Amino acid sequence: MKRWIKMLPLLAAILSMTVVAKAADKPSVIRFVVPGYVPEKASPTQLLFTVVWEQGLLQQEFAKDGIKIERILTKQAGPGVNEAFANGKADFGQCGDFPLTVGKAGGLKTKLILGQENGSTTYIIARSGTGIRTIQDLRGKRIGYQKGTNSQPAIIKILALNGLTLNDIRSVNVTVADGTAALVAGTVDALLSGYDRPLVHQGVAVDVYNNAKQDYDSRGKTGLIVSEEFAAKYPDITKRLVKVFLRAGYYASQEKNRAALNATRAKLGANYTQAVQDWVGQDLKVKFNPLLKKSTVDSYKNLQQFALKNGLIRQGFNVDTWVDTRFQDAALAELGLQNYWDR
Amino acid sequence: MRNIKWAAIVLGALLVGNVDLHAAEPTNSGLPEAQGIVTESQNAEAAAATEADAAAAAEATNKPVTRAELDGINSQLAILNDQLNRTLSLNTASTTRSLKIGGTLQTRYAFLDSNDTKGATKTKDASGFSIPAASISLSGSLRKDYADGRNLDYAAGFQAASGSSWNLQVTDAYLKYNILPTLDNEKPLLYVQVGQQKRPFGVEPLATEDKQPAINLATFAGTGGYSLSTRDIGLQIKGDLLPSVDTGYGYRVPLIEYSLGVFNGSLQNAADTNRSKDVAGRIAFNAPVDYNSDFRGLTVGASYTTGQGDYATGGTFGKASKTRLGYDISYVASPVGFTAEYVKGRDDHGIDLKSAKPVRTAGYTLTFFYQWGEQFLKSVRSQARADDWWPTTYQPFIRYDRWDPDTAIAKNETSIWTYGFNIFFAETTKLQLNYNVSEIKDLNNADVKAAGKGPLRKHEVAAQFQYGF
Repeated sequence: MKRWIKMLPLLAAILSMTVVAKAADKPSVIRFVVPGYVPEKASPTQLLFTVVWEQGLLQQEFAKDGIKIERILTKQAGPGVNEAFANGKADFGQCGDFPLTVGKAGGLKTKLILGQENGSTTYIIARSGTGIRTIQDLRGKRIGYQKGTNSQPAIIKILALNGLTLNDIRSVNVTVADGTAALVAGTVDALLSGYDRPLVHQGVAVDVYNNAKQDYDSRGKTGLIVSEEFAAKYPDITKRLVKVFLRAGYYASQEKNRAALNATRAKLGANYTQAVQDWVGQDLKVKFNPLLKKSTVDSYKNLQQFALKNGLIRQGFNVDTWVDTRFQDAALAELGLQNYWDR
Repeated sequence: MRNIKWAAIVLGALLVGNVDLHAAEPTNSGLPEAQGIVTESQNAEAAAATEADAAAAAEATNKPVTRAELDGINSQLAILNDQLNRTLSLNTASTTRSLKIGGTLQTRYAFLDSNDTKGATKTKDASGFSIPAASISLSGSLRKDYADGRNLDYAAGFQAASGSSWNLQVTDAYLKYNILPTLDNEKPLLYVQVGQQKRPFGVEPLATEDKQPAINLATFAGTGGYSLSTRDIGLQIKGDLLPSVDTGYGYRVPLIEYSLGVFNGSLQNAADTNRSKDVAGRIAFNAPVDYNSDFRGLTVGASYTTGQGDYATGGTFGKASKTRLGYDISYVASPVGFTAEYVKGRDDHGIDLKSAKPVRTAGYTLTFFYQWGEQFLKSVRSQARADDWWPTTYQPFIRYDRWDPDTAIAKNETSIWTYGFNIFFAETTKLQLNYNVSEIKDLNNADVKAAGKGPLRKHEVAAQFQYGF
């Protein structure tokens, strides 16, 4: 066989490795990554996304352009959102402010374009019979939480408020789903959790602590990011998507919709009673103020400093250049909502 | 007739009730669907609808349950409980300890063409379907340490392969104990394994079947080389040091990974024939970088093994030492990556064992790949989805494999170019397409001798489904 014939497979392989980019003025699909644990449902902590998705608002907005919406429900929570962006598999995503901060500090090429929910309450529950009743009782115990999510800074802050550090407890890195099973099995003694605490409802665990009375900015929040490439290539599409989320935020921020929102949280698999109790005393207009206002940006800066101080990230970044309010401001003007939320 | 009337009335009532129920279901929580600003009237309508729904739901929630309804539910629960227990006892395998069952099967079609024109060996050009190997693995924990994760695990594997005349053989058979706690991923790991297992050497010899890119093993790793992928019986300690954790991705990478073991040296399913033991060790250095770094997946390693074997030649018995030294560098990332391994060996088993004439051998392989798809991304792979869905990945690759059975003899090497394309289209399942171009110069090779006119050249096209469970 002639040598050039032998080289044909090599040539074919090289050609197959060539990705031909096709220029277009609009994407064929928008890929949105969001935490989710129950099949086909986003995490109960991602309420605005659920409101948007359940009502088909994104699909309606982009159907006339023939743009499909692809939803990636990652069980890896915030770390999964970051992984999807790092590998170019997502255009938009939302998760907690801590994983967003860690991802950006690690070099992700994203822009923070909108807030979501403010003041998420962190709960600590303990297995019944362990005798754990206070934060001080956690000393020497195995505490489950997922590193890389909002739970990580939360446990550090909660311990610090009570004169403890991570060295005083035994950290066990588990997802919410695995942590629930671990608490029952006895692998962990206590668990950081969101408001949905089925084990408490079942009497298997007891509430030890929650930070519901802290101000909104010092508790966890969620945010919406876009890849820099997508935002630069499709600014109008990005603005339209932000507009959809602002409309959802407007709906969620109204007190009259509280019951419907709690019903939506229950549909996500959360305990309805616990969902209702979680929002007692919470101002929905503050909680669902999605604007990247000064206090929000400052809280991201504070979080970054906290992460640096505690060795959770290796390097800082410029929060001011990460935050991009162009889409938010343009969408607000089109909606006539410039003066609706506090800024 | 009277019964029919009653049935019609009841059925009608049920249908009406069903219509009412559907009417009462919220079809829209009131979110505005039109473009532009949300109007107050829209919002008021939405609010009224949701409040009515909420009130109806609350009323239904607060309605007391009657004794008859409660008895009915209890009766249904008892029936379900009985059905569940019966199903479990009939259809669920029972083990004394935790058990995970897995397995891998291969189905291949190969077409071979060579320049061998002699009748006896020409038959080896025969093409057709085959099942090269079928294996099953069992693993689990004998002791779960909830406090520290110092688990005692076991692994057992069985394989029937064409290379072993389809006799079912034990592959893995070992106990593993985690000496250090495993619950904190920021701490180093250390564990000990005793039993039949792979010796710590190289990259490809240690890769499980589902992670190997090409259908055929690199020559140095297979039975035509140093048999490095074959198990041996012994004890080894494995661990890592200085782990780095990128919490933003749940990514853990230790700076140093090490393994050191003592083995019979007689390979798998064979008793030792002498008192000497083979020693094998490997150390690897991983790039201590964050997940988003371009250097993630870069590893440099070195492996060494030495020992003595018994040889019998012409009624003469003796011992001869053997050593293997390997270096490797790999970059396993997405979308591009490569692996490169070089191994050299020395066997003191000349024809006259007393003179211990050494034979030096060497082999190396280079593999470059490009891949696109989502199968290896945790975020995409482990989605909360209800259907049997799995992301795909496509992986073209090129490999060069070279083996020198005696470095003292010139022009006796074997070289193989492989052009491949892997399609990962379901969990643990892939379709492998390989085109192998081999040139064998070794005069001790029976096929080369039979060809009788210099190097033996082979062209093989093979397609293989490898599927696991």
